[in-house]
Amino acid sequence: MASLLPAAASSPAGAPARSKKRPASPGTGSGPAKKKKVAAAAGGSQSAGGEAMNENKFLNTDSSAGSVETAVKPLPFKDPKFIHSGIGGAAAGKKNRTWKNLKQILASERALPWQLNDPSYFSIDAPPSFKPAKKYSDISGLPANYTDPQSKLRFSTIEEFAYIRMLPSDVVTGYLALRKATSIVS
Amino acid sequence: MAAGRVFAFRDARWAPDPVLAPSPAVRSPQPVPLVIDNGSFQTRAGWAAADPSVPAEPLLRFRSLAARSRGARGGAGAETQVGNDLGSPEPLRWLLRSPFDRNVPVQLELQELLLDHVFQRLGVSSQGCVDHPIVLTEAVCNPLYSRQMMSELLFECYQVPKVSYGVDSLYSFYHNRRQNWPCSGLVISSGYQCTHILPVLEGRLDAKNCKRINIGGCQAAVYLQRLLQLKYPGHFAAITLSRMEEILHEHSYIAEDYIEELQKWRSPEYYENNVHKMQLPFSNKLLGSTLTSEEKQERRQQQLRRLQELNARRREEKLQLDQERLDRLLYVQELLEDGHMDQFHKALVELNMDSAEELQSYINKLSLAVEQTKQKILQAEVNIEVDVVDSKPETPDLDPLGSEQSLEDVESINEFEPLFAEDQPEVEKPVATVQPVFNLAEYHQLFLGTERIRAPEIVFQPSLIGEDQAGIAETMQYVLERYPKEQQAILVQNVFLTGGNAMYPGLKARVQKELLEMRPFQSSFQVHLASSPVLDAWYGAREWAVEHMTREEGWITRKDYEEKGGEYLKEHCASNVYVPIRLPKQAPRTTEALAPSRALTSSTGNPCEQV
Repeated sequence: MASLLPAAASSPAGAPARSKKRPASPGTGSGPAKKKKVAAAAGGSQSAGGEAMNENKFLNTDSSAGSVETAVKPLPFKDPKFIHSGIGGAAAGKKNRTWKNLKQILASERALPWQLNDPSYFSIDAPPSFKPAKKYSDISGLPANYTDPQSKLRFSTIEEFAYIRMLPSDVVTGYLALRKATSIVS
Repeated sequence: MAAGRVFAFRDARWAPDPVLAPSPAVRSPQPVPLVIDNGSFQTRAGWAAADPSVPAEPLLRFRSLAARSRGARGGAGAETQVGNDLGSPEPLRWLLRSPFDRNVPVQLELQELLLDHVFQRLGVSSQGCVDHPIVLTEAVCNPLYSRQMMSELLFECYQVPKVSYGVDSLYSFYHNRRQNWPCSGLVISSGYQCTHILPVLEGRLDAKNCKRINIGGCQAAVYLQRLLQLKYPGHFAAITLSRMEEILHEHSYIAEDYIEELQKWRSPEYYENNVHKMQLPFSNKLLGSTLTSEEKQERRQQQLRRLQELNARRREEKLQLDQERLDRLLYVQELLEDGHMDQFHKALVELNMDSAEELQSYINKLSLAVEQTKQKILQAEVNIEVDVVDSKPETPDLDPLGSEQSLEDVESINEFEPLFAEDQPEVEKPVATVQPVFNLAEYHQLFLGTERIRAPEIVFQPSLIGEDQAGIAETMQYVLERYPKEQQAILVQNVFLTGGNAMYPGLKARVQKELLEMRPFQSSFQVHLASSPVLDAWYGAREWAVEHMTREEGWITRKDYEEKGGEYLKEHCASNVYVPIRLPKQAPRTTEALAPSRALTSSTGNPCEQV
């Protein structure tokens, strides 16, 4: 177990830290070494991206000694030297460790040379509604004819109004935030 | 209808998936395709083989979530759990990560974890590669970048021989086809993150007229959660997303006519008969930590005052010390002025200084520091005075944060009693106005009245949550109007509902009513619901795979990947439309990018400049 400590300790959660563990060189180093010892192909990338060669050797001895299955058991069907190219992108290493999120992907997709009628992820967004929105009470959901001028909450009956006036301010803001009606200046 | 019943939450735990041993038929005579319905809510995976020994069901169904939990003993237990191995999503809620951003996989490391889980549990035994062709679902009009990354993962990490991408709703449409295929129809697919309206003409998706509403089961669950948390602030922590999903799956329905249904809920007898009371587990903490924001501010101010006092005391002590030292130095300086050279030099050595100039500079620094400290003390005193004038009267000698005083609790309970009375609005007299004894069971119940129809309604009226996109009905109308009248009539004859979020009772009736309103008077239309809205995508993909196992069409081979890039797509009856734009290949750590084929700036690789 002690041998696993360095391996596990070097894999704290967090995307930037994880991406650092991806580099292929320890993997390639351990690859051939493992193939000699264990029949299964090396899953170096799986073993928390073991940094030092020593750690991999420990793992080798462990697995060859038939150790119990741990979370870092190498998977046979993978290529251990694989790195995603999306991470650590084209600007080499230090920057861009994280994956692009959808917004960034779409931003770069927009820049591609689409023709007018080409379907793309952002062109099939549904249009905004043309019909005026119906107003419902924030408390009960019934159709609301009235709005409280103090808190801007909508209500449909007198009891609801009394209830609204007794609400603490954070609940009021919560209801408004629910329908995205919070004002920027409080 | 029975009177409003009390229901308990099942809070089911997931059973971990065993490592299965597939029947030998999956590898002989040739490795059969592996069908993976890669959804943002759930991943379903299984084999596609004509052989009866291979089950025609998805063998694996798990939530598309992974969590890397740190072990209890400082780092040594850190492990990644995927899907059903998590047991229950609630304890790890903040650690759960999904490869999806909306309905597109973007975090491909997590996707890799999910695929590892799939391959391992299905019993893929090939060495160094996954030998089976893969059928994978992707988003409608999947961004090219995402497909490129996914192809790279499949072809380079798993060395898959060939891959086919398709749209889940189209597979479902294919599975539910009637006699004459290829047919046309309007597919309405409501999933976890978004809802699509897809017109299909002659068996092929008419992609340029598709529309996507960014509302699905996830938004409904979050909406319901916030509604209940605002209504029952005392049960904030007990109102979890898993329980919300349970409510949506089992206690919610879609009203055929929303306004009419709401009117029904106005009447107290209807309410009594139809309210679903969800019983929460009993907890001892009665309103323990529900301090209102005003009370929280009080606490904060007290803490601030305490800190200020502490600082003031520290400053005074420092001032005293500095003053003493300054006096000593001044005394030594006087020695020099008076001419007592020997004593002066001895004192200098004691003070660890070399010369009179150094002594002078020290004196200067110290006097400056003393001055500043005096200034700060003066300022602080002024502030404290101002605070004392402004602050509300506070109870003296408050306990440190976290202790609850029973007096406070009883008062808060009384405050909340009339609020609970509001839940049974009309005729029913408020249960108790100001009474220390109250119905403990009822306190721990969530009353679901109009919430049962409000949460699913957001996909028809996104304005309920402040979205300005149009709902399903209006978007359907918009899509239909892009076609000539004859085609509209054809499409409307085969309106097909599918997707996990389409399982609410009453959806079909509602869609029929909306169509009745928007179609010309006395024109006909037909609405069908998928036979199994959740699983039909997988079944359809499997059918397609079994039929096309040996054919070439629809499969992207490794050679195609290498020649035409990861974003290449081979079209087939259930796939997206391929727009032939080449993306530059993302180079892992070199700075070179291949020149793209169409006139393209080299901006794709660097998101920092992009956004």
